[in-house]
Amino acid sequence: MMASKMKTSFFDLKLTVNGNEYNRRIPTHIRLLDLLRDELKLTGAKEVCGEGECGACTIVMDGKTVNSCLILAVEAHQTEITTIEGFSPENELTKLQQAFIDDHSVQCGYCIPGMIISGEQIIEDFHRPTRKQIKDGLSGNICRCTGYTKIIDAIENTGKNS
Amino acid sequence: MVKNLLSTKTYIGQPLKRVDARGKVTGETQFLTDISVDGMIYSAPVYSRIPFGSITSIDSSEAQQSPGFIKFISAKDIPGENQVGVITNDQPLFADKTVRYIGDSIGLIVADNPARAFDIAKLIRITYTELDPIFTIEKSQSVTTGFIHENNISCQHKVIRGNVEDAFANADKIVEAEFTTAEQEHYYLEPQACIVTPLESGGVKILGSLQCPFYVQKAVSKVLGIPFNKVIVEQAPTGGAFGGKEDVPSEICARVALAAIITKRPVKMVYGREDDIQLTSKRHPFKLKYKVGVTDDGIITAAEVRLEENSGAYSTLSSVVSYRSAVQAMGPYVVPNVNIQSISYYTNLPPNGAFRGFGSPQAAFGHERMMDIVAEKIGMDSYSFRKLNIIKPNDQTITGQRLTSSVGAMETLKKSYNASNWGNCPRPQNEGRIKTGYGIALTHYGNCLGAAGWFMDGSAVKITLHRDGSVTVSFGLVEMGQGALTVVTQMTAEAFGIAPSRIQINPTSTEYVADSGPAVASRNVIMTGQAIINATENLLPEIKLAASKFLDCPSQNIVIENDKVTDNAGNTHCSFGDLTDYMYRSNYRMETTGWWHVPELNFNPDDGNGEAYFSYSFATHLAKVKVDTLTGLVKVQKVWAAHDVGTAINPAGIEGQVEGGISQGIGWAVTENLKYNNGLVQSQNLSTYLLPTANDISDVEVIIIEEPEPQGPWGAKGIGEPAIIPTGAAIANAVSNAIGQQVNQLPISPEYVLDLINQSKEQ
Repeated sequence: MMASKMKTSFFDLKLTVNGNEYNRRIPTHIRLLDLLRDELKLTGAKEVCGEGECGACTIVMDGKTVNSCLILAVEAHQTEITTIEGFSPENELTKLQQAFIDDHSVQCGYCIPGMIISGEQIIEDFHRPTRKQIKDGLSGNICRCTGYTKIIDAIENTGKNS
Repeated sequence: MVKNLLSTKTYIGQPLKRVDARGKVTGETQFLTDISVDGMIYSAPVYSRIPFGSITSIDSSEAQQSPGFIKFISAKDIPGENQVGVITNDQPLFADKTVRYIGDSIGLIVADNPARAFDIAKLIRITYTELDPIFTIEKSQSVTTGFIHENNISCQHKVIRGNVEDAFANADKIVEAEFTTAEQEHYYLEPQACIVTPLESGGVKILGSLQCPFYVQKAVSKVLGIPFNKVIVEQAPTGGAFGGKEDVPSEICARVALAAIITKRPVKMVYGREDDIQLTSKRHPFKLKYKVGVTDDGIITAAEVRLEENSGAYSTLSSVVSYRSAVQAMGPYVVPNVNIQSISYYTNLPPNGAFRGFGSPQAAFGHERMMDIVAEKIGMDSYSFRKLNIIKPNDQTITGQRLTSSVGAMETLKKSYNASNWGNCPRPQNEGRIKTGYGIALTHYGNCLGAAGWFMDGSAVKITLHRDGSVTVSFGLVEMGQGALTVVTQMTAEAFGIAPSRIQINPTSTEYVADSGPAVASRNVIMTGQAIINATENLLPEIKLAASKFLDCPSQNIVIENDKVTDNAGNTHCSFGDLTDYMYRSNYRMETTGWWHVPELNFNPDDGNGEAYFSYSFATHLAKVKVDTLTGLVKVQKVWAAHDVGTAINPAGIEGQVEGGISQGIGWAVTENLKYNNGLVQSQNLSTYLLPTANDISDVEVIIIEEPEPQGPWGAKGIGEPAIIPTGAAIANAVSNAIGQQVNQLPISPEYVLDLINQSKEQ
């Protein structure tokens, strides 16, 4: 059915994003990605495939990385969210963000916010991840430019130095 | 002056970190899709749902009743020409009579929010008289009525040299084979997108995710019927392009510009992914037919090649893809007698166009498969056979062009072969389920636009010195992920002798510099680099004169190097900032422009003889694969990639280009498989169109070879496209080597591999 013809219902949403508490009345059909990008103007998370295959919309929800295009905003009620904007709030880069710069891991950059968040999770999960663990951990993040090699390098090097 | 410039190398060759990386790792970089403008409204495309037919009626009454509807725009609203064909005038902005593919543009809906715009676009009721659609090259060739345009030939090119008939008559062996390659979707991560704002001048300001601002300017000017200087086009940070944002943004921006003019509001359009894949260009599928004559000692004497391309519904860039594939059809080998025909046919599929390599990967698939097949027929190994026929300095290409310098083909072949150690490996036993194979493929990629595009192969820069010693550079090509901003910074730093940290690059805009041609054909380093050298030469005498006054020494003694201005004797020096402050206070000129165009090319299009391109980049990819004979799955284990780049401006950037190019090449050759059903894309997104993931890529060993190009800046040549060109062919050769059957098509799907294995069992 056409979204424009549906009767819109609303929900009073309360959530924490990057340490800030938000109370918003939102239409129940919008996705968490739409809430972040359109309502909260946090545009670091990108929409690429919109079907949970590419990982460009990756964020952290209650400590777990998720694809924000596959989650309704209402499901984020009373959760804690961290987006890429929350990783360097004081304009100070994380070790991994710095490694992406140092290891030449960035090209067009559209996938990079998702890559950083998945990379941080991989390092947290494995401490010193192997390249195989990194590849498995990144298999839900698509990059069309780099061929992944230098992204894997940055995660591996950051793990070794952490 | 030039000599001095060319001999200094402080910043060239260094792996300078990307100047645009920080905003990309923090998420602060605002791509077009992230940008909003006050008062902005949204548009969505209205397009044909049938592959071929005539429009009998367009009814927008239901759409007009919908909440949020603002305007429906179609052909009758165009004030200028209803035409956006980039080379041939065969493509209307909005179809008013005939539709030629599912996705062919009919109109535009403007609404108050993006979701509504896309919903309302589906409410435009269009009726058609359907015509018999044509999807294949074979049918396009064979029909005698019901042509897609005046006839079904989109364009053709040829290269005819020597006498193939005599050469075949005298050849010891003649080997023939046929190949096919499939479409490839760019799948740039950021979809097609733009924002157009109407201006008080009556013109428009366009902000877009695009490769070619000057193409957009020309297209919008034509459609709106306003002069170029009222069309301002600025490139926003762009999330990937790969050729997919070469010509396509022209039509998209022109439609949105029309909407902005009519509604007098800023209008944004972002394609949804499924629309983007259905509506926009792909890599051309090719049919390739090769006949090669060879002596018993392995010398190639003749080649007859027929290349047929599926052009899709409009010719767009087919003509130049066809040109490039024709002149590169036999690769970097000496073949004295050739008859090459390259013909592009219209079909009722989305128009195929520019995709990294631009016909070269398809041609490479043909000539490199052929090299292996011929080598096997005459009992030579594929390495020695290539070495015997490879082009060397002072040899002629198939177009009769004598290459005198910067001919690194042999070096790339030897270095990748030696690095792989293939020569010393025992032949894989290949008895079990998993079979191993190796394959080599080469390319000679013509840098820049070549004879077919010589008239527009010039580029500009503008360089401004500020009194504090900082420097602003404007250039006419774009950053689309490949690292343009970083190498432009490095080349400016080198030319002036100042630290890269002093340099800021403007976003690319038609407002800052003259038409610099398209950001395609791996031409940024060469064109912008040479324009920077030209700009520097224009200003350096003035800078040196100022420095000689400021430091009180003869101006010919002034040296600016390593960010210091000195008298070259260590007696006196100052910082660049001190000097520019003095220059400002003393009314010296603080701005310079630079221009460079490629040397004139002597080429005859009637027989395809002459200088096809002014310079060539060479590369060899050697792939090692494992084939699972039970599942048919191909795993590319490693690619040794040797690239003659002339001079490396930024080795880390080159590695990144090659690693990324090989990944895209693996996608084209193995994982990606675009499927149509009656002109409708079936593999509309990533769940069915499989881009390589981190687990699908191979190890890559990048070997940089520097054979300086006398006409390149500091000797540099292009790398962007050579990075992908040989990969598919090398993989196909490796799979053929592994399973002992000729892989004659791409993609090498598991089904195809199993078919080949079954055929070998039947033999």
